[in-house]
Amino acid sequence: MELSSRNFHDLYKTEIRNTQLRSNLSKATLQAVDKRSRSFEEVDFVFLRDEAKKIKQESISLLNDLLSQFEDKARQNNCTLFYAQTPEKANAYILDVAQKHGVKTIVKSKSMVTEEIGLVPFLTRYGIEAVETDLGEYIVQLAGETPSHITTPAIHKSRREISELFHEKIGTVLNDDPSFLTAEARRVLREKFLSADMGISGANFLIAETGDVVVVENEGNARLSTSAVKVHVVVTGIEKVIPRFSDLRIFMRLLARSSTGQKLTSYVSLLRGPRTRGEKDGPEEVHVILLDNGRSGLLGTEHQEVLHCIRCGACLNVCPVYRNIGGHAYGSVYPGPIGSLVTPLYFGEQNAPDLPFASSLCGNCTEVCPVGIEIHHQLLAMRHEIKSARKDGLEKFIFRNYRKTMLRPGRYRIMGKVARSISRTPILKNLLKGWTAYRELPQFPSRSFREIYKSGQTR
Amino acid sequence: MEDDREKILASIRRGIRGSDRISADRSSKSPLFARIGNDFKSRFAKFSSELSALGGEAFVAQTEADASELILARIEPNTSLFIYDDIRTNYGAFTSLLTESRQARFGIEFGPGYDKREVAIFDSAVSGCLACVAETGSIVMKTDMRLPAALAARLFILAKESQMLPTLDELFTDRFSNFEGSNLFLVTGPSRTADIEKELVTGVHGPKEIIVIFLQH
Ligand code: SF4
Repeated sequence: MELSSRNFHDLYKTEIRNTQLRSNLSKATLQAVDKRSRSFEEVDFVFLRDEAKKIKQESISLLNDLLSQFEDKARQNNCTLFYAQTPEKANAYILDVAQKHGVKTIVKSKSMVTEEIGLVPFLTRYGIEAVETDLGEYIVQLAGETPSHITTPAIHKSRREISELFHEKIGTVLNDDPSFLTAEARRVLREKFLSADMGISGANFLIAETGDVVVVENEGNARLSTSAVKVHVVVTGIEKVIPRFSDLRIFMRLLARSSTGQKLTSYVSLLRGPRTRGEKDGPEEVHVILLDNGRSGLLGTEHQEVLHCIRCGACLNVCPVYRNIGGHAYGSVYPGPIGSLVTPLYFGEQNAPDLPFASSLCGNCTEVCPVGIEIHHQLLAMRHEIKSARKDGLEKFIFRNYRKTMLRPGRYRIMGKVARSISRTPILKNLLKGWTAYRELPQFPSRSFREIYKSGQTR
Repeated sequence: MEDDREKILASIRRGIRGSDRISADRSSKSPLFARIGNDFKSRFAKFSSELSALGGEAFVAQTEADASELILARIEPNTSLFIYDDIRTNYGAFTSLLTESRQARFGIEFGPGYDKREVAIFDSAVSGCLACVAETGSIVMKTDMRLPAALAARLFILAKESQMLPTLDELFTDRFSNFEGSNLFLVTGPSRTADIEKELVTGVHGPKEIIVIFLQH
């Protein structure tokens, strides 16, 4: 995957000036937030979240055992398992499977992990067409872009932009009615489903107890990508395993509500390996690829709980930063609050040093997270790590002096005088120009509270 | 190709070494969902209201003839209808009424390795189900032929009253985890998307219409 998070400062500055983008985003995210809160009327969010958190803590603390258990079960169900430590390894394995079967076209359903490993561009280099079949992903793929949201990939695009894109790329007439555009995409993609021999999907959950791969979706494209093919490849992270089938009681009630404000998505597929005797369709081969890519390194660290994420996207929708700059500004497949954690953790802090700072720390994300990740505390902890590792002389100097000033009343008074006098000149404004470019600097009063109090003149 | 199993598992063991093995408290019995009445009538009311909120329809039919009438009223003449094998076996009278005047074909005509294109031509499919869930208006399916129900624009489901589960709690239990075969699908309303400006569009790749008929006997 191409990571451009190092350029965060340039990226967000361009994006934030794009008023069309901001209006698309605020419309879509505000609607999502509203639908989400209404969908929790019938169930107790806090109770479910606490249960989900416990199950995730259990899953991670027993990860070694659960993966082995999943492996045994999945093998009994005739799946082939492959562990990959790096994206390169996962990609190479998938290419190998495709080439062995002489596959030319692959139908792919939504999967963040395939974005993470850059699978589609990789396969394209080898002459294999991998078609995104989720509508949002399809739009983004046609546009030659990357998704800007983890559950609504084309959230940054307006209907007019999509209509123009379809007109240019698949020759449809200009018509920006979403029903029309969806029908056109369906027409093109149906043909792909009928001709493809291989399908690739992610997994929302892996169940250790049964070896099931659980895939949640609304359009029916994942159902086809996993059923209408000879070979089905599942690409997922090692942290997706949960202990029991019955745990779905909790997660199924949380996931759809958190991501799209639905009680349940249109389809929940529980896939238990290739077709069995007596079945007339379904894949003949199922491969499950378990990717590490930095995940196991988080175990035992203060960031372990980031592995609980079920990728619902709720934290993106409520984030005031995301809402204004959009997903592309983060320069990573994982945007928003959770992306600001996952990106430096999976790809190295040096590659995304600014992302943990792309937050107002308002805590909205933590409040909505269905698995109780303390997202804003995590962000703060990462800032601390990054700052302690960096030798930022000026900043350290300022904070050292700030501390001294706050501890000594005499020094505080002098500094107060200095600040009051330079606040009337452009010096302070210039010093703080990063901040004052977009905001008014508040005026300091001409006398301190203490001076006023002593003089006895309160007005 | 050699995989990284040992390396990854060793790294996991290193990471979780010394930390507590947490086990989620299974004893918590708090209900996850408000109770839905015990009788079929209240469960059906909930099921039907959930399904219709999504754009589907639910009915109760006294006889197989009533059920077939409901279906015939919803499909155009000469439309192609795919009938799943379980319908033929379990609802004989219903099946013959349906096939008399329609261009219907049976699952049995398609063997393993059938041509996908031959199945893609069906506008409608009719199938039985494993269970229905009142809480969400969902149908639970396990089929030996996944595609007809996934491709048709209209899906009819015949269910028995006894198949109605009140909530998801009853579904995610041992009774259903031990299913035979390679798949279990929960279908909740029409296939849909809101990927373009969050506007809801139904009938993307799967059925646009879902009609569930409960037979009383
Ligand atoms: S961090 Fe929480 S809210 Fe954000 S995507 Fe993950 S599970 Fe959802």
